[in-house]
Amino acid sequence: MTLPNFARLALGGLLLAGGSGLSSCVSVAAYQKVYLNDEDMKLANKRIEVYETNFESYREGAGGANGGKVGGGCGCN
Amino acid sequence: MHHTSSPFVPRCAAALLLALLPALAWAQATPTPNRVDGYGTPNTTAPSPPNPSNHGETELNILTSYYSQDGNRGAVEGGIGTQQLTDLTPTIILNVPLDSATRLSANLGLDYYSSASTDRIDQVNSSPSSSDTRFHADFGYSRALADKRTIVGLGAGVSKEYDYLSFNITGSWAKASADGNRELSVAAQAFFDRATLILPVELRTNGRRENGSDTRQSYNLNVVYSQVLNQRLQLAVSTELVAQRGLLSTPFHRVYFRETGGGYGAAKTELLPRQRLKYPVGLRLNYYATDLLQVRGYYRFYNDNFGITAHTFELETPLKVTPFFVLYPFYRYHTQTAADYFAPYLSHSIADEYYTSDYDLANFSANKVGLGLRYSPVYGIGRFKTPFGGRVAKFKALDIRYAYYRQSTGLTANLISADLSFTLP
Repeated sequence: MTLPNFARLALGGLLLAGGSGLSSCVSVAAYQKVYLNDEDMKLANKRIEVYETNFESYREGAGGANGGKVGGGCGCN
Repeated sequence: MHHTSSPFVPRCAAALLLALLPALAWAQATPTPNRVDGYGTPNTTAPSPPNPSNHGETELNILTSYYSQDGNRGAVEGGIGTQQLTDLTPTIILNVPLDSATRLSANLGLDYYSSASTDRIDQVNSSPSSSDTRFHADFGYSRALADKRTIVGLGAGVSKEYDYLSFNITGSWAKASADGNRELSVAAQAFFDRATLILPVELRTNGRRENGSDTRQSYNLNVVYSQVLNQRLQLAVSTELVAQRGLLSTPFHRVYFRETGGGYGAAKTELLPRQRLKYPVGLRLNYYATDLLQVRGYYRFYNDNFGITAHTFELETPLKVTPFFVLYPFYRYHTQTAADYFAPYLSHSIADEYYTSDYDLANFSANKVGLGLRYSPVYGIGRFKTPFGGRVAKFKALDIRYAYYRQSTGLTANLISADLSFTLP
């Protein structure tokens, strides 16, 4: 299985950004977290996304660890 | 902003190693403490500054979605049938603070689906299999401990549909660092399910739709480590190890073999191993580029003992049109290899130990694109009196989202979702 070029670029960018960010890890004080506390900076899926993650876990056979079901509860037709 | 002293360096190194895990392991994951369906897991995100606008208030969310899919690879007919399905899913989530440290949550909802695919179990249109309703109820309890940085939680739930009954229990623990820049959360869940076995009509020997029952257990361990990198950048690395045992086949999925052809009565029901292990790992990275634009990136790598390897990449770019109105376009790409036990219609041999023609387990790629909008004015969208002692409720925020999904198997899907947020004093 090969990733298309745009996906490779995007993944590379994501890892590079993460790596470079970690290499300059800094301590951020509470009063400096105005950006990090923004609603869109939460490190989780939005509540509304759960329906999408559920159907993806059924239709892709590769579910789990994304807020969707991982085998229990079914509803999987 | 200043660089940290030495105690922080090993932590950064550890975080870097964790961040590189997706490139080293075989898996797929994302931190999702806001689970809505089938779980009683309390929210385990890092404690955030209290919001004066809703501190101590009961929160009520009404969610709903309409899902529609179509394709011609339905497993009920051996990989060549219709996949037409619609699903309507209203859900209510209630979050009640008992005091400053303790919360109760309830999640109640149903799925009403209509499926042309399962209709073919009986080979007759408009059969009893054409539609069903699934009910689910989950309850959670979470408490912040005396150190104000640790949150523990317990939960339980149940779901029921015509041929499937499921119970789940869950426990969670999350601890944030003193400076709030790191958090480790762990959640464990167990599902205990019972399925009524419904065979394709031509394979029934007892003259009845039901042919006994079977069980399935699923055990999940979800670990999330999150790290603030700087004032605009933070990441999370997560994994959710999943072990399942019991009935993993769908008894009304037909498989046709090359030796016996596609005639009436020639099919067998799908047969898969009775144990499955999933190994997902993921990386989420959020960047506050400007007051106008943020970037939310996510990658996951997945592998399981069925032989599926998958990569998933997601990108979302929230655009703040005003401080209270956000448009967020999103894109998702997914690619996976086929399970060892998958083969298309008439491609399996009767000598195969396991067999399925379910295209959910096939080799394919998928693209999803969509747009969401969120409107959350600081004083709410509106207020109204409730029947509960005349208390005034606030309609706080509205989130609407549309997604279009397309697989290389030919399956297409449309989904529209809405989330209405209310608070009660």
